[in-house]
Amino acid sequence: MTSSGVDPQELEHTRRRVMLALFVAMAVALHTVEVLLPNPIPWFRIGLANILALTALFSYGIQALWIVSIARIMIGSMLLGSMFSPGFLLSLGGGLAANAMMSAGYKLWQPKIGPVGVSILGAIGHVTGQLLIAWLVVIRHPSIWMLLPFFLLFALISGIINGLAADYLLGSLYKHPIFAGLKKQQTPNNNS
Amino acid sequence: MKALGWLAYLTPFDRKLLVVVTISVVLSFSVLLLQKGGSRVVVSANDKIIFVAPLDQDQRVELEGPLGITVLQIENGAARIISSPCARKVCMSMGRAEHSGDLIACVPNQLVIRVEGDNVEDEEYDFIRR
Repeated sequence: MTSSGVDPQELEHTRRRVMLALFVAMAVALHTVEVLLPNPIPWFRIGLANILALTALFSYGIQALWIVSIARIMIGSMLLGSMFSPGFLLSLGGGLAANAMMSAGYKLWQPKIGPVGVSILGAIGHVTGQLLIAWLVVIRHPSIWMLLPFFLLFALISGIINGLAADYLLGSLYKHPIFAGLKKQQTPNNNS
Repeated sequence: MKALGWLAYLTPFDRKLLVVVTISVVLSFSVLLLQKGGSRVVVSANDKIIFVAPLDQDQRVELEGPLGITVLQIENGAARIISSPCARKVCMSMGRAEHSGDLIACVPNQLVIRVEGDNVEDEEYDFIRR
């Protein structure tokens, strides 16, 4: 450790706080950039911001996941001016469902499951949550559920992409001394 | 196997999960394909039902609207509009209506063509009409 004479627990807390703030900032940036990307299918997003939520989950646990993704949705929609619009409701519903799925998957299968697995669960939760909100609030018609298979397919693909990105990011982050204090069993398997 | 090189970054559990999820996505598509069509066509003009017919009987119907005659074709369990007096022919490009709840509307000619199922519970109202 570089700084001596500081309570190591306090140091770890501060590091955690700083890293979470950075994760939120990066997630907001990705969230904003993604809105600018051309989007052939309405509502469908890759969910790049979820890479940071996954990274937070695997480095600091379930509470960090919720902090990063809820803060990201709130700040991101404030920046884009879409707060409390139907799109924001969809985003929030999807985010909450995704977080629930990711927390459950992480908690149940924690040492075995990797970032890709959690990411797939999260993406599935996200589209299901979004469709549920869309069905409840926007289009009260059962045929909206006919979209679900297509959404699930895209969620599967984007979940894999995000998971791989998070795995790569975690692999390089763990080489940094800031993460030296983390518990070893949380390290994802990074075939090197 | 370069295309599948990314699989190396998955834990064995992730791979099992991926297989399960892929199977369920494929299953959800097959549920979509197997879904049975609706059972009857209901045509309304100005909120009055002017025509009801079963979907499994092929026929061609001429519907009278303010602009003229719109021709509705029922064929192979699906309904579509094959000719319309309106300017933009939006109703013709709306394609086939076959599942319960599908809707074709011809706004200039004030016709709404709706496919209904057997269950009355299927018929939910949307947010605006509720």
